[in-house]
Formats: sequence, structure tokens, C-alpha cells
Amino acid sequence: MTIVQTPPATIRGSGATLQTAVKGLLRGTPGRMRLMGVVGVLAALLLGGAATNAVLASEAAAERAANNTQQVVRMQSIHVDLLRADALATNAFLVGGLETAESRAQYDAAMASVIRTVAAGAAAQPADATALGALAEHVQTYAALVEQARSNNRLGLPVGARYLTEASASLRTSAIPVVVQLVQANEGRAQSEFERTNSSLQLYLGVGALVVLVLVAVWLARRTHRYVNPSFALGVVLLVVGLFVASSAIGGIGTAASQVASGDYRRAVDLAEIRTAANDARANESLTLIQRGGGDRYEQAWLANDTTIRAALNRVDGSPGLASAWQKYALAHAEIRGVDNDGRWEQAVELATSTGAAGTTAPFRAFDQQVTEQRDAASRSAIEQLGSLGGGSTVWAVLVGLVSLIASWLIVRGVGQRIKEYR
Amino acid sequence: MTPRPPRRTSSRRGLVTGLVVATALALSGCTGVTYEDTALPAPATTSTPPAPTGTPVACTNATQSYDPLPSLPASSSITDGSVRAILERGHLTVGVSADTYLFGARDPFTNRIEGFDIDIARAVAQSLLGSASKVRFRVITAADRIEVLEKREVDMVARNMTMTCARWEQIAFSSEYYHSGQKLLVAKDPSGAVPDTTIEDLKGKRVCAPRGTSTLEKLRSVTGVEAVPAADHTGCLVLFQQGRADAITGDDTVLAGLAAQDPYTVVSSAPAITDEPYGLGFNQADVYLVRYVNRVLADLKADGRWKATYNRWLADTLGPAPAPPVGVHGRARP
Repeated sequence: MTIVQTPPATIRGSGATLQTAVKGLLRGTPGRMRLMGVVGVLAALLLGGAATNAVLASEAAAERAANNTQQVVRMQSIHVDLLRADALATNAFLVGGLETAESRAQYDAAMASVIRTVAAGAAAQPADATALGALAEHVQTYAALVEQARSNNRLGLPVGARYLTEASASLRTSAIPVVVQLVQANEGRAQSEFERTNSSLQLYLGVGALVVLVLVAVWLARRTHRYVNPSFALGVVLLVVGLFVASSAIGGIGTAASQVASGDYRRAVDLAEIRTAANDARANESLTLIQRGGGDRYEQAWLANDTTIRAALNRVDGSPGLASAWQKYALAHAEIRGVDNDGRWEQAVELATSTGAAGTTAPFRAFDQQVTEQRDAASRSAIEQLGSLGGGSTVWAVLVGLVSLIASWLIVRGVGQRIKEYR
Repeated sequence: MTPRPPRRTSSRRGLVTGLVVATALALSGCTGVTYEDTALPAPATTSTPPAPTGTPVACTNATQSYDPLPSLPASSSITDGSVRAILERGHLTVGVSADTYLFGARDPFTNRIEGFDIDIARAVAQSLLGSASKVRFRVITAADRIEVLEKREVDMVARNMTMTCARWEQIAFSSEYYHSGQKLLVAKDPSGAVPDTTIEDLKGKRVCAPRGTSTLEKLRSVTGVEAVPAADHTGCLVLFQQGRADAITGDDTVLAGLAAQDPYTVVSSAPAITDEPYGLGFNQADVYLVRYVNRVLADLKADGRWKATYNRWLADTLGPAPAPPVGVHGRARP
């Protein structure tokens, strides 16, 4: 049994004039030709729109990839600067209240950089604002604890040591997890923008439109028994050219972007990871000594950092200089551990804090400086390359749009010619 | 039969749909991408350490240790395995505190760990190895004390450790070398009078004690008081200064060290809640070493060196040295 649903009744009189007019236009073979003309024009416009849109989307994605890369760099800088500040604070603690002006200035610079970058990051990516707000709170707590450790330390009170341990612990349990989330979220965003730069999927819509146009041309040829319609054919050729231009523009952006993604961008990310782990290792070295024989878990953390760094150094191209610089520091660190395990704690502290040739300070600084320079260069280059990708493609997008308009006009002209001939 | 809608309508509908799709596509290129908010990490679950397993062990001889050796033997004549190992190594490894002011604390200027406990450890090294400097300090927390002894990571623990029946099940103690009692550290009264706050007065307040200590266990048994654990007593002072604890409970000696670091705190004048006899901790099997150290301690107490050490560290805050605690011996060997 079928349920018959009465269609809603059309109110008589409304749109009757329009309907009659349309009916008149579509009546008979010329009517069908007109209809086919409309389909052809729509297909041409669809092709033009899709191609223009795809090129613009690619370009926009490249720009967003550049912006997100910049944000990744910012978040990684926060990560490094926090650990660097902690490495400096813990190392200075080993010399009691006698922190050098230089190390104090470096600590201040690292913390200032964190605060500035948090503000810049929140302005650049609204989606990060909440997380950065939480981070700012943790950073403030950390800085306050370090200051309290410092002032108690200057008074020679053991509670200073506890404040410092609390500071380092709070940094690693509260602030660093937020930074890690921020880095990961932005890496994810940059990665998906890298993928979006290849928006050639939209071009299939254009190909579909092209097929429709060819079918219309075939139908027209059959109806009129005239094989080539010069106007119509020229329109189709123009559209093919437009589609080709769009696809090669997109291909160019996509290829260049994926080259950046696997090249300088990857390199910048790897080098940032190395620098982060290196500064964490340096803090762990000091914490091991501060715990005085009870710091085995910090030495285990140092060894984990070392493994991370060596693995990342293997991934980074052209880093033999870096690997040997790290090796130098690692050897100096091993010496400290040897001396400390041998019970000569004071000598181990001397090695860890002296800024002279002996000890870990000089090789660590040399390594840190090299990594920083190389990472800055890589991230700058990645952002520059991504920024320059869009440049010419706007012109191509506009051209493709214009071409589709011209092609539409040619199609209208071609179909119009045939209708005239038919009469 | 259902009336078919006219053909034209359907083709027009198709056209409209096509246009809508095309427009939507065109627009998608212009509008920006919206990103999901960066997620915050899940808050770290602060697991409250479970109360030590096992029922409290009752006994009446917690302060009773093994008999001291009749006299100190020449080191070369000792055959006991554990002691021979120390002699061959050339230094004594001692688990100590680095932040219990006056008992075992690192001087930030000299980086040396100093205090009453440290001097006792040095006296043992002096006797066993002939030099007070042949000792290596390993900084441990209160909660580490039993474990480092059981794993033999240290030879001895000198870290204001109370002799209890439960601990005798796991480790061995020397005879009592210091007598302390549990008191309360509270905020100073604006008038300057020393308050006589008792634990009963602190119902509904937060009281801090170090993890893994007998003090914390006692505190948890007081109803109405919120026990706040910290890594050690100095950690409690941090919580107190941050307004996250209202009082600190601990041995009077430790509290004196904390009060010396914060002029806004004072040790309550109320009498000590408990007796806290301090003993040096050893591995349970090191009976000979315990007997050796008991001899050293007995000599220190007898010849006035114990008093001198007390006066050096504690006289300023606790007044002149009392009579040293009398060692109780005669514990049956396991």
C-alpha cells in the first residue's frame, strides 16, 4: 500500500509570468540548446571558481603554515628559556649566595624572554591564549620560588635549598607540561597547514566541470551535425589551460611547502628539541650535585637527555660540529660524575661551576651557542621560504578567474551562433 | 499513484544545489581556518602516599640496643664482614640530612654539611678509620632512611631518627644518643608572648609533618586535624611560609632549627607530646657494627665530648647541654 502525499498546492497566480517566460525559452530544440548553454556556462564558472579557490587556498595555507611555524618556534623558545633559566639557577645555587653577576644576568634575560614570548604568542594565536594564561601563572610561581630560594640562600638558611628544589620541581610538574602541550598543538597546526598547501583535490571539481563541457559540446555537435564550434572549443581550451596553470601553481606551492616541512622546518624542530634536552641535562647535572649522593634519579634523567640528544643529532643533517661539541660536554660531565662518585664532592662542584677551561661550563656554553645559532638560522629560513611561497600565485588565481569568465562568454557566443543557425 | 513532479522542477533544483555547492566551495577558500584551543595537560594526580602497611608493632624496649663491645678493638683485628668492608673501602658512608638546621645542614657558604648528627658520624669515622674526614655523606630524605639501609647504600643513618618498635623489625639501632620530644611550631603572637598551643587547639587547622615519619603517623591519628605531608621539615617551613600550613609538628630540636630561619615563628611552650629517642640506624644484620658504635657512643657520653658537641650546636637555641641520655643495652641478638 502506498501512502499518497498530496504535494503542497501552488498558490495560483504567483510566479505564473516567470514560469511562462521560462517555459517559452526552453521550448523545442532551441530551448534545449539554451539550457545546454546555461549548463556549459555554469560548468565554466564552476571550473574557474574551483581553480581560483584552490590556488588561493594553497596560498593561504602556506601563509598559515608560516605563521604556525613561527608560533612553534615561539613555544619552543619558551621551553628552552625556562629550562635554561632553571639550569642557571640550580648551577648558581652550587656556589651558594655567591652567584656571579653574569649568570644572574643570563637568568634574568632567559626569564624576560619567556614573559615576552608568552605575550607575543597569546597575541599571535588566540587558540593558545588559555594555555598561555595558565603557563604565565606557573612561570610566575616558579620565578617567585627562585627569588625566595635566592634570598634565603644569601642569608645562609637551609630553607633556601628547599625553595630551589620546590622551584625546579614545580617547573617540571606544572609549567613544562603546559609548554609541551603548546609545542605539540602548534606542531600539529603547522603540519596540517603544510598538508593543506596541496589543495589539488578541489581541482577534481574543475575536471568534472570540464567533462560536462565536453559532453555539452558533443551533444551540440550531434544536434547540429557540425563538428567544430570554434568559440565553444576555444573556451574549452582556455579552461584546460586555466586548470593546468592552477594545478601547476598548487603543485609548486605544495612541493615547496613539503620541502620546507621536511627540510628547514624539521631541522628547526629537531635542533630546538636538542637544545631543550641539553639545558634540561645541564640542570640535572647541578641537581645531582645539590642532592649530594642522593641525586641518582637526576643522573638517570641526565642519561635520558643524552640519549634524546644523540638520537636527534643523528637526524639533523650537517651536524658533525654539534655532535663533537656535545661529546666534549658529555666527557666533561662524565669527569664530574667520576670525581663525585669518588667522594670528591667539592672538586666536582668546582668542575661544574668554574667558568674556566676545565669543567662543564665552557663546553656546555659552546654547544648551547652553536645549537642556538643553527636553530635560529633554520627557523628563520623556514619562515622566509613559506612566506615567499604565496607571492606570484595570487596573480595566477586572478588570471584563472578571468580566463573562466572569457571562456563563459565564448561558450555563450558559440551556443548562440548555433541557435541562430538552427532558426 | 504519486503524481510525478514536473521534470523542469527537478533540473532546476539540481542547478540550485550545484550553485550552492560551488558558492560554499568558493567561500571556504576565503574564510580562515579556526583552530581548536590548545588543551591543558590533565592535572597531575597528587597521590597521597598510603599509610605504612602493617599494624603498629608493640614492644616495651624500643630504646634497648645490643651490648656495646667491652672496649674498642684495633681496627686491624676486626673480622666482622661488614666492618671489614668499610675498612677496606677506607671511608664510612652515612645517610644524613642536608637541611635540618643544627643537626645536619649544608652551609651555603662553605658547602659543608654540618650539625650535631654530622659530628656524631665523624666521631664514629674517627674511631673506626682514624680520621674524622674519612666519611662520605649521602643526603637522604626521612622517607629514604629505611630503604638505604636495607639496600646497604649506606653503612649508617644519622638523621634524627626515632627508635620505634616497628623500625626494629626492619633495621637495627644504636643506643639512644639524643633525647627529643615532639612539639609544635606556630606563628608568633604579635604581643611577643610564646603561645602554649597544643595539638588539641589545632582542630580544623592544617598541620605539616614530613612523609615517612612517625610524627606524621601520630598526626594522622589525631581527629579533626588536617595532616599536610612534605618531603622534610624544611619543606614544611616552605608550606608554612606560603600559607599552605598553619603549624608544623616535629621534634623540638628540628623545630628550633626552623624557628631560627624564620623570625615570625616560635616553638610552642606546651610540653612535648611524645618522647623521641634518637638512635643511629644500621642494617639489621650489622650487629657487630652496632655494638662497636654503642661503645663509641658510651665513650662520647662518658668523656664529655657528647656535651661539647651539644653545646657547639644546640646551646644557643636550647640552652646548655643536659645530661646525655643513658644507653639501654642487653637486646637479644636476632
